[in-house]
Amino acid sequence: MSTSVQARPRPTTAEPGAARRRKRPVARLVTAVVLGVVCVVIAFPLIWMVLTSLRPSNDVFTGGLWPKHVSFDAYREVWSSTDFPSHFLASLWITVATVVLVLLFASLSGYAFAQLSFPFKNVIYLLLLTTLMMPATALILPLYLQLKKFGLLDSQLGLVVLYVSGSAPFAMFLMRAFFETLPRELAQAARIDGASEFQVFWRVILPLTRPGLATVTIFQFLATWNEFLYANTVLRDPGKLTLQPVLFAIVGQYSTNWPVLTAGLVMSVVPVIAVYVWMQRQFVAGMTLGAVKN
Amino acid sequence: MASQTLAPGAAHRPRLRMLSKRHRPEMLAGYLFILPTVLLFLVFVGYPIVRSVYLGFTTWSGFGSPSWTGFHNYHRMFDDTVARQAFRNTLVFAAVTTVLQTVLPLLVAVLVNATWRRFGIAARTLLFIPGVVSFVVSGVIWKLVLDPNLGLLNKLLDGIGLDSLTHSWLGESSTALPAIMVVSLWQALGLNMLIFFAGLQGIDPTLYEAAEVDGAGAWPQFRYVTVPGLRLVTGIVISLNLINGFKAFDLIYVMTQGGPNHASEVLGTRLYGLAFGTTSGAVPQFGYASAMSVVVLLLCTAAVVVQILLNRRAAR
Repeated sequence: MSTSVQARPRPTTAEPGAARRRKRPVARLVTAVVLGVVCVVIAFPLIWMVLTSLRPSNDVFTGGLWPKHVSFDAYREVWSSTDFPSHFLASLWITVATVVLVLLFASLSGYAFAQLSFPFKNVIYLLLLTTLMMPATALILPLYLQLKKFGLLDSQLGLVVLYVSGSAPFAMFLMRAFFETLPRELAQAARIDGASEFQVFWRVILPLTRPGLATVTIFQFLATWNEFLYANTVLRDPGKLTLQPVLFAIVGQYSTNWPVLTAGLVMSVVPVIAVYVWMQRQFVAGMTLGAVKN
Repeated sequence: MASQTLAPGAAHRPRLRMLSKRHRPEMLAGYLFILPTVLLFLVFVGYPIVRSVYLGFTTWSGFGSPSWTGFHNYHRMFDDTVARQAFRNTLVFAAVTTVLQTVLPLLVAVLVNATWRRFGIAARTLLFIPGVVSFVVSGVIWKLVLDPNLGLLNKLLDGIGLDSLTHSWLGESSTALPAIMVVSLWQALGLNMLIFFAGLQGIDPTLYEAAEVDGAGAWPQFRYVTVPGLRLVTGIVISLNLINGFKAFDLIYVMTQGGPNHASEVLGTRLYGLAFGTTSGAVPQFGYASAMSVVVLLLCTAAVVVQILLNRRAAR
């Protein structure tokens, strides 16, 4: 098990068995065919979703799999005659606000746990990490009551607060792994040069953990953009809803208009796929780092 | 995403030295830097959990103040057929999804590893996509795929002459939960495969070479090199899947809302219905729902404890 977390994740192309790959072309062909079939089966529902969204509305259930002719009517309709754009923007600002706050809090605390010494450090750290095993399902009711007490029910700000408090510990855990790779002497040297503790962190250490920040950013973006349970519970006013609860709510409304429904789904996935493709390497590194660190 | 393998921090310095003058700014900075995270934790994680445990021992509809009724809610769960069904479904769902979502991703990771490198990378990228779309999106897509009249699956079965096999998948008690398990596997396959993949990179290649020299074929190599080499990672994947199974909510809520007739009801959907699903004019039951939250919490904690114990054994 590799335990070192590298500041620059290796390209994740595995080498085991590389020696064996040069032989047995037949075995490799069989493997590729099996894998190809698995890929097609997995991709099929997504492809079908896109195909359905490209049908003209009078051709919803006729014909075979392929639309007779491609039409972007459904997309136009979603964008111009529904509230989709405003929910999209609500999701976007809530996600961005959450990502920024999580980055700030998690890198501050991750740095403190990795590079500073203070009494009861390990106890506090382990206490914070219990958050990672708290199921949202079990927390939703007391959290709802808590927000009610603070007057943050039906408020997008309240949702951001929940997201940040629920995610900061995991992000802190990731960031700490990145800060641990840096020698303590860096901070010491900066202190001797007269930098304050915050300057050491902000000017010297933080710029060295860009890959860590990128990992947290992508992970947090996807998690927040996709979150449904809290969003569906905290927000009540239809005008304030984020995308996920809206997509859930309109299934019944558009039960006979699949092109419009699937066009909405496709558009809600675009930012996610964009972020995933754009920062895939960091993401894979981050996901596996979180799970495979010992 | 959680990891239960927590190494304690850097080596402890003696406390007394930390109290010396030179270290005081560092200590102060340490506490200041963790303050926001700790405060949010106390107010929005720690306190709610404690309150949940307390409310589990009360009867409360949200009006007035909770009245203490001890273990009444827990006794009630034993006699409540819907709660028993939800509990049974939760265990079945967690067990089945854990087995499927551990074994199949492992096999796929090995396949990816044994094929052409470029093709392997492409396959990995594609297989991961269902894992990045939201539960709502995948739930809705699959609802359409499984639609009894117009859905893709029944159309395909009709198309190849197997119309006897068509079902109203999410509308029948016997097929609703299994259908959701399949969707769960579809979502989780890519992520779990990636975790196994990271583990495969940690296996010493010379072990395979040695096995090769000894004349071991593909299966013995998998059985005696790959599987033991992935013991630790497998433990992590199992516990992650168990936790996700115990706390399952989103996918089930989106696809069936626990129906038909509670056939796919799990603890998560049930407690949500008791607390918030008061559209039918029923009184919200915060106490009873909290007791169910506590059961979910205990199940997840048990999964973590098992994982820690397995880790200790693997480390020896």
